[in-house]
Amino acid sequence: MKRFIAKLLFLAIIGTLPLNAARAQRQTSQETLIRNATVLTVTRGTLENTDVLLRNGKIAGVGKNLNASANARIIDGTGKFVMPGIIDCHSHSMLDTINEGTLAVTSMVRTEDVLNPNDVDLYRELAGGVTTLNLLHGSANPIGGLNTVVKIKYGRPAREFLFPGAMPGIKFALGENVKRSSTPNLPGVARRYPNTRMGVEEVIRDAFTRARDYKRTWDEYRAAVKNDKNVMPPRRDLQLEPLVEILEGKRYVHAHCYIASEILMLISLADEFGFKIKTFQHALEGYKVAKEIAAHGAGASIFADSWAYKIEAYDAIPYNAAIMTRAGVIVSMNSDSDERARRLNIEAAKAMHWGDLTEEQALKLITLNPAIQLGIQERVGSIEVGKDADIAIWNGHPFSVYSRVDTTIIDGVVYFDRAQDLARRPELAKERTALEQAEPNKPRPHGQSPQTPRRRPSGHEDDDMEKP
Amino acid sequence: MPKIRSRLIVALTLLLLVSNISAQRSAVDTYAITNARIVTVSGPVIERGTVVIRNGLIAAAGANVNAPPDARVIDGTGLTVYPGLIDSYTDLALPPPAPSPSPSPGGGGGGFFALTAPRPASGPNSTQPPGLQPEVRVEEVIRPGGAEIEASRNIGITTALTAPRSGIWMGQSALINLAGETPQQMIVRSPVAMHVSFTPLRTGTYPGSLMGVFSTLRQMMLDAQRYRDSLQIYERAPRGTRRPDTDRSLEALVPVIEGRMPVVMLANSEREITRALDLATEFRLRLIIAGGREADRVTERLVKQNVPVLLSLNLPRRTTAALPEADPEPMRILRERVEAQQTAGKLAKAGVRFAFQSGDLRDISDLMVNAGRVIENGLTATDALRAFTIWPAEILGVQNQLGSIEAGKIANLTVTRGDLFDRNTRVAHLFIDGRPVDIKPARDSGPAQPTSSEPERSKQ
Repeated sequence: MKRFIAKLLFLAIIGTLPLNAARAQRQTSQETLIRNATVLTVTRGTLENTDVLLRNGKIAGVGKNLNASANARIIDGTGKFVMPGIIDCHSHSMLDTINEGTLAVTSMVRTEDVLNPNDVDLYRELAGGVTTLNLLHGSANPIGGLNTVVKIKYGRPAREFLFPGAMPGIKFALGENVKRSSTPNLPGVARRYPNTRMGVEEVIRDAFTRARDYKRTWDEYRAAVKNDKNVMPPRRDLQLEPLVEILEGKRYVHAHCYIASEILMLISLADEFGFKIKTFQHALEGYKVAKEIAAHGAGASIFADSWAYKIEAYDAIPYNAAIMTRAGVIVSMNSDSDERARRLNIEAAKAMHWGDLTEEQALKLITLNPAIQLGIQERVGSIEVGKDADIAIWNGHPFSVYSRVDTTIIDGVVYFDRAQDLARRPELAKERTALEQAEPNKPRPHGQSPQTPRRRPSGHEDDDMEKP
Repeated sequence: MPKIRSRLIVALTLLLLVSNISAQRSAVDTYAITNARIVTVSGPVIERGTVVIRNGLIAAAGANVNAPPDARVIDGTGLTVYPGLIDSYTDLALPPPAPSPSPSPGGGGGGFFALTAPRPASGPNSTQPPGLQPEVRVEEVIRPGGAEIEASRNIGITTALTAPRSGIWMGQSALINLAGETPQQMIVRSPVAMHVSFTPLRTGTYPGSLMGVFSTLRQMMLDAQRYRDSLQIYERAPRGTRRPDTDRSLEALVPVIEGRMPVVMLANSEREITRALDLATEFRLRLIIAGGREADRVTERLVKQNVPVLLSLNLPRRTTAALPEADPEPMRILRERVEAQQTAGKLAKAGVRFAFQSGDLRDISDLMVNAGRVIENGLTATDALRAFTIWPAEILGVQNQLGSIEAGKIANLTVTRGDLFDRNTRVAHLFIDGRPVDIKPARDSGPAQPTSSEPERSKQ
């Protein structure tokens, strides 16, 4: 209980951590040698008493008695665990807005346009060992907006967050959210089409039919304009262009879904148009159709549990990850929540308890597997020489609830360091006092009462939450 | 019959012209302010000199200038003459926002509502819904007079950029002098710029989110490019080419995408400004930032992309009382309030071009008080004056007409007793287009200024 209170307190304090302090803490990529740690490589087993050398933003060595240059930062890893930075394949952190819910097909909108690099949730996620996020549009529409894959370079400008070379993606959604099951029928207010799962399928089929026509129109124009420069150009349509990219295999589809029948529906629809679904997001009934998902070549990115939190989640079981993994599906555990994102290590651990995955299989759920699902497996997801220096150093095994992160490193740069964080607090307290004395911050004698800050409910956000 | 009508028109026009000219001649149009301190902005301060105003223009200014015999002489002893102050972002002279617009069939009526109503009705035959109508021009709806214009003049403002209040493509602004019998007399320049805000439509239609706003801006600019290209093709080969539909909205965007018309984007936070800069880069727009509260965090890019800022002097400050049970305010907010006062000084040091504007200050008389706070926080008084005069003139493209006391420029002058940024200073005289304007100095506890923060300051 004491520990719990201490943790709460810690979180409460972290919550007030200011941006500028994080900025001041910014360090350049420095050669770093972690000595004598337990290294969870993910692909090459667990290595005891092992050194990890980080140089020029890459992992330069994994082995015993490694040498570093004289000015390298040395971290004593005795008793500590080094693992690859955690990858969250379903996040809405740092998005100023999540849903463009006015239309059923919003493939023209881009999460990249609304990044907030100062979102304090990012710092909390770093403190949970997370280094990479798949930022998805919400689940309000059968075809949602474009995703953004980022490294959490908290304190840097948004454009530096973008994960170079990550596959472009898009959010699809099926089921209750898109047919607006929880939207009340209001007199005089027209419900947005579609209202049934049948309608959802039709909306997606219609969009891809239009995308096919669009591609043909442009192909014809490009051929015709060679001979006649007075041919009118077709309209560029930002809604259909990403769908053409999907048809051409240049964009990954991340499809929000829950129940088996809609998963099968989307597989057959994708087969009809000749494209692939990269991940089924949530897919809590994925275990029922694990073979079909594997045969399609899709992955699944799921919650560890969360059964029955909504009607379409009634058949969820905690063995989902294990069953799908054994069927050959690439499975990842995601957060879909700024809160859960801080403890994805525990979500992965649950799959060892429920379903007997090996430690390595469970680790993959939050490292290599999401990397594969985002097309970044050559860069991150395991501790191997040549991969990006994106790692988290834990004070114990990350699958223990008592372990916490000491240091999180991205591209060789420290973005979270617990000791530094603690050391900075007295300075912050001083700054607060000074700021509160400043003229513009003094309470007005006849002012209004202070507003209670709006807090987001913890737990499930299920895509539809808008940030306050 | 047509002949008779046209003759009649010619005759009437002549009559109007003649009456206009005679009206101008009959009025006094030559003034001289003598023995005054003259802050020219363009050159050194003249400690004791004369400014001559003739026919709406500055005729001469200097230490050795004499008042012409036909001039009405104002003794400027103890007074300081400044170029008329420019407020570089307002909604002055626009009709008040209508609470519930009723569709108006009249030609100008649509424009009126499109500009002013929170949920405006359509412009005449627009292809776009309200909020996405770049063809809207404030020029068509401005009206002279009104308490707000008077309040601005009372603190020494002679000129203002006035821009549409709402929308994503908000429409096109005008630079107006704050005096004149008719809208036409007030306009110094129109259109000045296209205005954009990143505020989603509130009508339940697309775009209803910030993401949708950017996609819509992009799609319409792409459509405008195609519109322009299609018209060119049609011009080359009208026979055998299907005629493109006319489209006023897209037509209004053509000067924007060709960089002939600047785009003012409302952006205060660092990330809003960054988004505006990114969009401007993507479409090679001539960007101006309005608001700019955190512009000091993006100075490198602003300088590199040569983007000026219309910096709001609506400085944030705590409005609430102290309650023991209240949560402590987040550091982010505490910092924001303190740092907003320093933005102007940092912009000046970094070499970012900027001009002051009142933003949506509830009480315009706070404008000069806040300018004083900005000066206390790192901006020189000289630069503060520039940010009210020559810098806005340059940013808005009227540096040959306004912004300094030089012969040939429009005779907009703000004459004060005391230094402009001193809190006890009062505006003594105001000239707009070479004519004196009645002022009621607001600072000596004038009427109807209940929210002024000045009393609060004096308590400390």
